[in-house]
Formats: sequence, structure tokens, C-alpha cells
Amino acid sequence: MSDNNPKGRDIYIIPQKSAYSGTVNIFMSAFFLLIALLIFLPILLVIIISFSSEESVTELGYSFFPKSFSFSAYRYLFNSGEYLLRSFFNSVLITLSGTLAGLLVMCPIAYAVSRKEFGFRRRILLFLMIPMMFSGGLVSSYMVNTQIFHLKNSYLALILPGLCSTWYIMILRNYFHISIPDSLIEAAELDGCDPFQTFRLIVLPISKPVIVTVSVFQVFSYWSSWYPSLLYLDSNHTELYPLQYVLVNMDRSIERLSRDAQYISGAGVYTPPAVTVRMVMVVIVILPVMILLPFFHKFLKNGMTIGAIKG
Amino acid sequence: MTETEKKSSISGAEITTVTSETVQVKSETGFSTYTGKRNRVFMLMSLPAMLWYIGFCYLPMFGIFFAFKRFTPKPGEFLLKNLFINSPWVGLENFNFLLRSSDMPGIIWNTLIYNFFFIILGIGIPVFLAIFLTEIHSVKFKGFIQTVMILPYFLSWVIVGYLVYAFLATNEGQVNHFLRMFGMEGIQWYQSPGYWRVILIITELWKSAGYAMIIYLCAITAIDRSLYEGAVLDGATFLQRVWYITLPHLRPTICTIFILRIGTILNSDFGLFYQVPLDSGSLQSVTQTLDVYVYKALMQQANFSFSAAASFLQSIVGFVLLMVTNRIIKAIDSDSSLF
Repeated sequence: MSDNNPKGRDIYIIPQKSAYSGTVNIFMSAFFLLIALLIFLPILLVIIISFSSEESVTELGYSFFPKSFSFSAYRYLFNSGEYLLRSFFNSVLITLSGTLAGLLVMCPIAYAVSRKEFGFRRRILLFLMIPMMFSGGLVSSYMVNTQIFHLKNSYLALILPGLCSTWYIMILRNYFHISIPDSLIEAAELDGCDPFQTFRLIVLPISKPVIVTVSVFQVFSYWSSWYPSLLYLDSNHTELYPLQYVLVNMDRSIERLSRDAQYISGAGVYTPPAVTVRMVMVVIVILPVMILLPFFHKFLKNGMTIGAIKG
Repeated sequence: MTETEKKSSISGAEITTVTSETVQVKSETGFSTYTGKRNRVFMLMSLPAMLWYIGFCYLPMFGIFFAFKRFTPKPGEFLLKNLFINSPWVGLENFNFLLRSSDMPGIIWNTLIYNFFFIILGIGIPVFLAIFLTEIHSVKFKGFIQTVMILPYFLSWVIVGYLVYAFLATNEGQVNHFLRMFGMEGIQWYQSPGYWRVILIITELWKSAGYAMIIYLCAITAIDRSLYEGAVLDGATFLQRVWYITLPHLRPTICTIFILRIGTILNSDFGLFYQVPLDSGSLQSVTQTLDVYVYKALMQQANFSFSAAASFLQSIVGFVLLMVTNRIIKAIDSDSSLF
């Protein structure tokens, strides 16, 4: 809300110079620094393990203070051939195509239900709300997806089930509803635009903030999705595995990796640094989220605020 | 636009108002053709999403029938025919068997007890964190803290499972390493069910508290600051301001989230209970919740009817509880209810 007006926020939230705030401020800052540290600690540990040498891990275990550092696990993974690269590619493909397709489907309907002059607006809103309350449950969506849509072992099984969400449509709709002045749309229609043209030429270009918000939510949720893989991919289709699912099947995956590595090097049996390799994979998955989050934190917060307004 | 206008005026439409700004044409049915065309375009824009909703939300809704049938599919036949024609009705038999099975009381108890703690702590802790965070002056520092605190929310349960593993692994784990440093025995965490209730509650809070905190933070930001300034002038202490200003303003948000959480009281996060304990068999007594059961009955035992009956139970109990809670809260404070 006040995010649009950072200057206003400075003056606003902080009860300045009141008697209590000096000490409370220092105390709270220390408290939250501690909390942030505690929250970040597990991630830090995994990052440190990924750089630890194999000997250090066998001797000390997973430790914040390893005996020696090494890049061997990273080097191993980057040379491990197609398997890992393929799963990385799968994750990126699913994330990008799912997010893009989701936006293409959700933005138009969100605009339609945001316009008062759309006669079926209420009925379609109801149509979108009902699935929030009732769902057929896991069994029937599994049966429908596998037996009617035949999605088993395909990329579509990982993309389609998460394509739309009433929640995101409502975030988009509220933005179109509140932030775009009616006069702008009326002017466009007077100039002869039909609703779709108005939407494409006028509304979309000025709605970038909310579109970024929804995209970031979608990107994160596709990037971390693994449940559809568990349901719809079987072990004969490792070429479809996204990174998350490779991690679910880590033990089998390490076997596969070492087979790939042997094939490439042509050398004899080489045991991979299995313990650290796991953690390198985890770091590879966490890293994009960690890099993107600081940039998009504002957008996420906007989405949560807009979505929280009732009605 | 002009074309439809012409068409309708030819077909005997009556032009009601002609101003310089809008042209409204009414046909004999009383339905403005101008609106008609616009509606058609809006419908076309809604169509792709509606198709998705029909295919992935409405079509699976017939699945509640699985719970009342003994599913006996004939291979090669269409799913709906298999369900409605080839499978016999069994009434409430599935529920009967499900509820009488020996591990069901434990499963339901697990689901309820975890949800109880998740609701109490998952609302209480974030509310207090949000109240405390507003006491910090530096906007930059606050932003930094928030970014760190919501990071876990965007990590999958698979990743969280590995983070927990880094601490609890029997040989390499950080915790056992620590215990040994002080001369104690390492604990086989993934074989000792006793600790897991606490571990799972901490893990859930670690993952979701930051995100929940931001929701309350947004609500606090929306409170009129002059209230606080007035209170400070009148000599109110920090606790008094929280009690008499902040908490009453947070009540609608807290109630909304509380009602929604009660509605999913028989649901649980599958990833937390399946992936974080690494599906360890010896932990089942404390980690098996209804969602894990629904998954296992479907994927490992192919017991469609039981799985469907369990999901049906989840949604029907959740729906009834949501309605009841909403009604109770509405009676106490009509502004705070969900609808």
C-alpha cells in the first residue's frame, strides 16, 4: 500500500523521537538480526557443505567450519554430462513456459471480470470462486489427468495443473479494477478500440507492476514444484525430471551421474563425492531464488497486500 | 461497432439515447447490441481460462463419486463409464472401512494435533514478529530482515528436507556432531519418532512464519499513525499501544486467516510430512497425516475408493467447520467474519 510512496512511509510508520523508541529500536534490531541469522543458518550450512572437501566431511561431518574447502563437487557436477544439464533445462523450460502460458490465460479473464460493463462478470467470478471451496480431491484429478488427458510422462503434466489460480486472477483483477482509471478505458473505446484492443494496447502496458508480481509468484512456484513429478513421471522417463525431482530421487540420481561420468571419461570406476554432491544440487536450486528475491521482494509484498483486500 | 449499429437499426431497433459520447442501441429484446458485442469479446477473452477451469477443476469434481463406489475398472474403457457404469454403488461402506482401519485414529490425531499447533503458533508468532518489526526505524534494515525471513517460504519441501538432513543426518549431521563434541552419544534421528513432533513444528514455522509476518505487517502499515501519536502524547506505554491500537486493528486479518485455517484442519502439507522425514518407515507413527495417507492409498496401494473417501472427509469436515467458525465469529464481531 504505502510502498508506492516510500517517502511517505518514512514519515509515517516511524513514531519518531518518542521516548521509548531509541532503546526499543536497538533492542528490536538486535532481536531481528538474531532471527534472520537463525533463519539463514540452515541455508548457510548447506552452502558451506557444498564447498567442503570430501575428507573434511568424512572426518568432521557436515560442519560450519570445515577443515578444507574444495570445488571438487562442483567440478564433478559440471562435468557430469547430460543428466544434470538436462534436468536444469527441464526446470527452466517448465518455469518459463508455465509462467508465460499462465499469464496469457489469466490476464485476459482478470481484465474481463474487472470491467463493470461485462454482463457475465458476476457469474464468471462465481465460476472462478467455486473451485477455491470444492475440489474433487487427489484421486479424481489424478485419474482425469492420466486417463482423459493422457498427461502421464509429459512436460504438460508438470505445466498444466498449476497454470491458473483464482488467487492470482484476483490479484490481477483488483489491480485492473483499482489502478486503471475508467476514463482511460472509455477514451480508448471512443477511439474505436474493442475491449481486447483496449486491454492489449492500453491496459497491459500500464499494468507492468502487477504482471511482474504474478510472474514472480508463478516463477517461484514452478521452480519449486515437485509434487506433479512425483505423481506423473515414472522412473523410465528420467529425461523429463526437473531439478527438484532429481533431488527427490537423489540416491538413484547419484548412481546415474556416476554412470554418465564413467561413460564420458571412459575411465574405470570413479566414486562421486556423493555427500557433497547432494548439497551442491541443493545450492543450485536455492541460488536463483536467493538472487531473485531481493529484487522482487517489493513486488511480492504488493501482491500480498492487494490480495489481502477483501471483496 | 458501426456495422452492428446499422444492422440493428435496420432490424427495427430503437435508438434510445444519442449523445456525443455514447451510442446506445436497444434491440427488441431489450439487450443492447453494443453491449452484446462487447460481451462477446469479453467472453472470448475469458474462454481460455474457463476451459482450463473446466478441465482441471470442474471435471475432477465428479471424483466425489469415487468415495461411494467400489471402483472396478474394465481395462480399455473410458474413465467415466468405468466409474459410473462398471463400478457398483456401495453407499458409505468405504467410509466405514476407512474409519475402522486400525491406523486411522492415529492418522487423524496426527493431522489434528499438528494443525492445532500450526494454527496457534502460526498466527501468534508472526503477529508478534510483525508488531516488533514495526518498532525498528531503519527502512532499509527492515526490508533486509523481511527478505531474509520470506526466503524459506519460496523453497520447496524437497530443499527443506535436505536442509533438515544436514542437521540431523546420523553420521555427518551437524546436531550429532555437536552432541559428540560434548561427549554425548549421537542420536539416530530418522529412527526416533519421539523428537519429530517438535522437529516438524519448528520446520513448518521456519518456513512459513516470515511470509505470514508480512501479511500482518501490511495490515499494521495500514493503521492510521495519528492514533499512535495521540497515544504517545497521552502517555501510553508500548504494551498499551499494542493492546489497545495494534491488536484490535489486526483482528479482522487474524480472524480471516483463522477461519481459513480451520477450514483446512484435516489437510496437511504433504511435503512436510512425506519429504522432510524422508518417508522413513520408523517415523510413520508421528508423521503420517491424512494427506500422506491419501497419496499412499492412491499411488502405492492403488486403493482409489479409500483414497477418495479420505479426501472427501477432508473437504466436507473442513467446509462444515469453516461455515460454523465463520458463523461464530460473525456473531461475536461481524466485521471480522469471512463472509
